[in-house]
Amino acid sequence: MTMLLQVPEQTRARYPDEEGFAERDGVRVFWERYGEGEPTFLLAPTWEIVHSRFWKGQIPYLARHTRVVTFDPRGNGRSDRPGDYDAYRRREFAADALAVLDAAGVDRAVVVAWCDMGESLILAAEHPERVAGLVHIGPTVRSDESDHSVYPFDSDPGTDEGWARETRASWQRDWTGYLEFFFAKCLTEPHSTKQVEDCVGWALDTDMETILTGFRGWETKIIDPEEVAALCPRVRCPVLVVHGTEDEQVPAEVGAALAGELGGRLVLLEGAGHAPHVRDPVKVNTLVADFAGVGAAGTTPATRTWTRAVRRPKRALYLSSPIGLGHARRDLAIARELRARVPGLEIDWLAQDPVTRVLEAEGERIHPASAWLANESTHIERESAEHDLHAFQAIRRMDEILVANFMVFHDVVREQAYDLWVGDEAWELDYFLHENPEEKRAAYVWLTDFVGWLPMPDGGEREAFLTADYNAEMIEHIARFPRLRDRAVFVGNPGDIVPDRFGPGLPPIREWVEDHYDFAGYVTGFDPAGLGDRDELRQRLGYRPDERVCVVTVGGSGVGGHLLRRVIDAYPEARRRVPGLRMVVVAGPRIDPASLPTHDGLEVHAYVHGLYRHLAASDLAVVQGGLTTCMELTAAGRPFLYFPLAHHFEQNYHVAHRLAQYGAGRRMDFPTATPEVIAAAIADEIGRPVDYRPVETDGAARAASLMAELL
Amino acid sequence: MTLTITAAEQTRARYPDEEGYVDRDGVRVHWERYGDGEPALLLLPAWSIVHSRIWKCQIPYLARHYKVLTFDGRGNGRSDRPDDAEAYADAEYVADALAVLEATGAGRAVLVGLSRGSRWAVELAADRPGRALGAVLIDPAIAFVAPSYPDRHYPFDEELETDEGWAKFNRHYWLRDYQGFLEFFAAQVFSEPHSTKQVEDFVGWGLDTSAEALIRTQLGPQPGSREEMEAILRRVRCPVLVVHGGDDQVRAHAVGAATAELTGGALVTIEGGGHCPQARDPVKVNLLIREFVESLRGRAT
Repeated sequence: MTMLLQVPEQTRARYPDEEGFAERDGVRVFWERYGEGEPTFLLAPTWEIVHSRFWKGQIPYLARHTRVVTFDPRGNGRSDRPGDYDAYRRREFAADALAVLDAAGVDRAVVVAWCDMGESLILAAEHPERVAGLVHIGPTVRSDESDHSVYPFDSDPGTDEGWARETRASWQRDWTGYLEFFFAKCLTEPHSTKQVEDCVGWALDTDMETILTGFRGWETKIIDPEEVAALCPRVRCPVLVVHGTEDEQVPAEVGAALAGELGGRLVLLEGAGHAPHVRDPVKVNTLVADFAGVGAAGTTPATRTWTRAVRRPKRALYLSSPIGLGHARRDLAIARELRARVPGLEIDWLAQDPVTRVLEAEGERIHPASAWLANESTHIERESAEHDLHAFQAIRRMDEILVANFMVFHDVVREQAYDLWVGDEAWELDYFLHENPEEKRAAYVWLTDFVGWLPMPDGGEREAFLTADYNAEMIEHIARFPRLRDRAVFVGNPGDIVPDRFGPGLPPIREWVEDHYDFAGYVTGFDPAGLGDRDELRQRLGYRPDERVCVVTVGGSGVGGHLLRRVIDAYPEARRRVPGLRMVVVAGPRIDPASLPTHDGLEVHAYVHGLYRHLAASDLAVVQGGLTTCMELTAAGRPFLYFPLAHHFEQNYHVAHRLAQYGAGRRMDFPTATPEVIAAAIADEIGRPVDYRPVETDGAARAASLMAELL
Repeated sequence: MTLTITAAEQTRARYPDEEGYVDRDGVRVHWERYGDGEPALLLLPAWSIVHSRIWKCQIPYLARHYKVLTFDGRGNGRSDRPDDAEAYADAEYVADALAVLEATGAGRAVLVGLSRGSRWAVELAADRPGRALGAVLIDPAIAFVAPSYPDRHYPFDEELETDEGWAKFNRHYWLRDYQGFLEFFAAQVFSEPHSTKQVEDFVGWGLDTSAEALIRTQLGPQPGSREEMEAILRRVRCPVLVVHGGDDQVRAHAVGAATAELTGGALVTIEGGGHCPQARDPVKVNLLIREFVESLRGRAT
């Protein structure tokens, strides 16, 4: 199976504060510095098969607490690719590390090494004044003789099966195939597709010729056992060795022996493979931080207060997904209902733009640590093209941000005891809690309005495999740790669940959700009856009775700019067909209204607080396929045109299925919807009486009741 | 309401691995050792109104990790009750602590003091820095460093017209109704709701000595002046953790805060906690002690 490798680097959770090159003998090595403070971490490269992005799960967390320096190994990333074998000896890497420390102005660092082949050992042994501590993750160096390879590198086994791939002949036949094999052997844990893809992608940032320049088999790549034995006694700093017990590249005995030789501590990660910092980033982050006395362990304030349990006010921490504005509104409604049921309840919000704008407008308390969250909306916008967002891949490619944001949460709940955590599609919380179940220290409620990653048809077999793999991991998580989610609340009804299966050999989605969720019904966040008489509402909002008002909105993200422009282009023709047509375009918080074209009779607004009132007062709405806005229109009984984003599985399947349940909306196809087609649809639909199934109005109350039982 | 105090000691969760007496100038002090991990922790006695059972919730846990040493302060428990008030001077308790360290072969120890025992801990740490790895001071009774309920002070030696409230802190009342005093004082110590068992324990330990013995602990030399006390605190070089109840009715929280400041130590406030959080919130205090002891071990930096 061939992987789909995404070439552009995905959005980072944190970008360097400083970068530069260190030059030695004409070879330039690229380094980055993140954050400030002591101790400094040097996240060292391994051999040149990957580059410094390999530490993406660690950088944002560690750099929030202290200074972190990384560099790309010579031969990959933005470093040079010298052309001779000797330039790739381990001693050169150690010298590069020193040069990077000098260039970044670092006197001493805690060196964190993955798969050390000798360079970090040399650094610690020969330059003890520069190394304050040494963390070895899955080290390769060993002081006893051993065979590293099944086949001599220069042999041709005549096959590409198994370790036969690790020969020059096989590399030359199928380099990418070798990389996929090699990294699959690094990441033996189930459900590691993203991690393997990342690694293969980083390896392809260099090329086979460069790797071959510095590689003549492991016997010569890794420093000699005699040298290891001679270096170990010279290491004076504290040492931590972390090794997976199911490491198929280097057995855990090697790490254990090295810890013994170095007098260091050994942490075995049972069931982990060769790259636990990639696959179990939360665990490795806390191990590394604790070792160096940073983070939760190192930042213990000089003055602390612990309140006796019964004296504590009841507190909830609410995480509301920032992807779209819909979550904010429904979560506010649920929070209000929850407060009504739990007197004295204090709610802190861990949230980011644009959710925080809605929360601030309502006077909610936003936890200060929210400022540390890496922004998801920015990432989603970067992942989108013209009315096109591959939602599954966009969330998948958000893995670094999810780890970084989980670590923010992790710090917050260490400092403050909460009675309840609520995660409304807070993927980082739900995923990493199931990966690190010992971190649960409060009641936890998970909310979502869809269950099941679904493949888009043009993603082919690979996407079908990946979505099924993600679903399978989620199903395994819930089966293994049913205690983690104290409540799983589906925002909707059983009929809203798509009729699909989670994947081949996996259960039907609806059946499984009915077994594992409570149903709150839909939560609009407002009561349509509370809007009062529609004529009066129109008058209050400044819409004349004889006007035909068409509201155009694309929600809270910046993805909808293309649709807005297309609808604006349809305006002249629509006005010709609908005399007196007034078009109200709401750009939303993340699109600059000034960037949109204008016409007479057409007005453009930035963010509008209480947009649902305008939707309810309109004669027609034109929207994206996002659930919140479509359901607001359904609840308000207004006709609307909706355009699901291309490749957005949630809008194309989950939302469309739900709208069909209510008999609501006219689905439009963006690629074929010319301005003329849109104008004709506007003329057909505007002011048309509708007969939607009523939307329940007690969803927030039902969700809050399920939560209140835990408080 | 008079408490019924059960005389027989209740079953312990852990019994000492070794015990003995140190004898100084004919006064015998009983010590116990539990566990033999590193480092050694010396849980000092508090005021002799109680004895080493006051640490009963700490010993079993800490002894699984460290060498835990306790001793009964002279005047209670299995230690002698010398007749002479001078024998109850601070310096004597500090010397007893050193003698116990000698007798148990513990060169250096983390000192854990409660109330008056915190004073002995800082005096020991200030005078013998080589013996103190660190000091945990729980609701320290350190005079002068901060105001602590000045309006409650009645003359100890004079006959008073009242025995209401803190007027009970008076030798004549003690001699009239020692248990009445113990019950009053225990109720002040445990200001937290639902502390009946802790109060009963406390009164029981108080009844293990006598009003006469306790009076002598009050008549010995007391700390001299603010300057003297501050100087001692500033001489402490080892890491210090102060734990103080936010609702301590015996020694105001400000005393703990000032102690932390003067020793450069960390301060953990037990919000809603009284004077003996090690008895009322034992899990939290155990974890704080453990965290502190572990923080003394070498780190990468």
